[in-house]
Amino acid sequence: MPPSPPAIKTVALSKVYPGGVEALTALDLVVEPGEVFALLGPNGAGKSTLIRVLLDLIRPTAGHASLFGIDTRTGGPAARADAGYVPGDPRLAGRMTGREQLESLARLRRASAGAHEALAERFAAPLDRPMRDLSRGNRQKIALIQAFMHEPRLLLLDEATSGLDPLMQDQFRRLVREQASEGRTVLLSSHSLDEVQHTADRVGIIREGRLAAVETVEGLISRSVRHVTARLATRADPADFASLRSVRDVTSDRRILRMRVQGEMDDLVKALASHQVLDLTITPADLEEIFLGFYHEDESDA
Amino acid sequence: MPEVLRRALVDRRRTLLSWSIGTALYIGMIAAVFPSVKDSPGFQNLAQNYPDVLKHLFGISGTLGITTGPGFLDAELFSAMLPLFVLVLAIGTGAGTLAGEHEQGLLELVISAPVSRRSIVLWKAAGLAIELGVLAAAATAALLVADPLAGLSLDVSRVVGAVAGLGLLGLFHGSMALAVGAATRHRASAIGVPAAVAAVGYLVAGLAGLAGWLSPFRYLSPFHYSGQAPLQTGADGPGLLVLAAGAAAMVGAAVLAFERRDLGGG
Repeated sequence: MPPSPPAIKTVALSKVYPGGVEALTALDLVVEPGEVFALLGPNGAGKSTLIRVLLDLIRPTAGHASLFGIDTRTGGPAARADAGYVPGDPRLAGRMTGREQLESLARLRRASAGAHEALAERFAAPLDRPMRDLSRGNRQKIALIQAFMHEPRLLLLDEATSGLDPLMQDQFRRLVREQASEGRTVLLSSHSLDEVQHTADRVGIIREGRLAAVETVEGLISRSVRHVTARLATRADPADFASLRSVRDVTSDRRILRMRVQGEMDDLVKALASHQVLDLTITPADLEEIFLGFYHEDESDA
Repeated sequence: MPEVLRRALVDRRRTLLSWSIGTALYIGMIAAVFPSVKDSPGFQNLAQNYPDVLKHLFGISGTLGITTGPGFLDAELFSAMLPLFVLVLAIGTGAGTLAGEHEQGLLELVISAPVSRRSIVLWKAAGLAIELGVLAAAATAALLVADPLAGLSLDVSRVVGAVAGLGLLGLFHGSMALAVGAATRHRASAIGVPAAVAAVGYLVAGLAGLAGWLSPFRYLSPFHYSGQAPLQTGADGPGLLVLAAGAAAMVGAAVLAFERRDLGGG
């Protein structure tokens, strides 16, 4: 049996919008079938452009993209025949109800008319009200359902949890993991490290149209920076902590210690254990700091 | 039925229904006036005393004269009001169905489905043609019902030819709206360009007989081909073919333009 082609493959993919904005720059990406791959990056990094190129909504300026071995430009509708898509800004006809909308999209994809029912129940989506009367979160549910309802082999999810409440975000994460366990491929974009940690196998850090790094989630976490604040019962010497391998930028304000930790927490936890710890907060770094972490390494590699 | 076509028709069904009923009622109203004006010598004189410019524009210069049924309807309906009704519907549909839906962001999910862009444009053009067919059928029915009631003495084949001319006039301008919408993605341009073409075309065709220097340009006017005074002189068969070919060319241009564009987002 020949090896199955990658679910997603891009080769030197570039997109320059009219007006000169460079959205993608020579981007190479391979996502294997069954994988959950997250594109992590700030707004405007090129995540949506990449997903839209994969669906042939946007034409690349240079390079190629293929889905399951079919070129997205020359392969015609066959390339996206087995894809589901949640747009970054899903807009659905205001006059139609959710049910009409879903049934129409099901016909377009030659799925059965009732394909949406189980998912609608799972997400508690209101199906009988016109789309224009729905809240942002409820419209997002309809957008999610239409992407999953025809059980595509590939899911392209652009900021799919935006507008969802935490309960539904959790439901979404479980759905994504189920899809992966059934052998489907998921490409999701996000600017939330937290969301990515809970769903993805691998993470591509995308910034200014370039794939800055590809990491496993474990790798990303081990490299990512957390802010740690410890309130102790007695004054501690900051130097004891500054000497730890994973700890940086220790500041001390009476009995409160603040520091940044990159990598394993083990050293720090053991060092703290010799004090009476009244309170301990650990805040994950935001994206910018993760990127800075990567840039620091780029510099030290050079 | 293909989903793209079904959606196009469902979305427009209320507009189409009210537009068709309105057009039929307007035809009935004009026809109802005919019996009271045809024997009025004042009306005949009034029409004859119009300036030549207005006579040409309003189709009063036809062969049979304004006191005959065909002459009256050519002047009152086919010279201005019916083309206007047809063009407003056609350009509205043509502009709304591609550029309008794109501006509302509604095309993104359609195009992300395994449907080719070519078939999206072709089915939307088919929807436009079906709409115009329904409107033309309503106009034909209204004319044929009014004919015996108002004593219009219409020739059925000329009625059909005249309405076909209107329908093709609409199809040409509606297809132009599709093409401009596909190329620019802006609904305003998709309405403005064909509307301007129609306005200039109307004046050129109407005044060409009057102003000699305009005469060569009449071949560029869509109205030249849809039939002038069509109930009196009959439809211009080759002219209708020219309009149909023009509409097909516009749809072809719409396909080419739509296949090239980036869609969805900036």
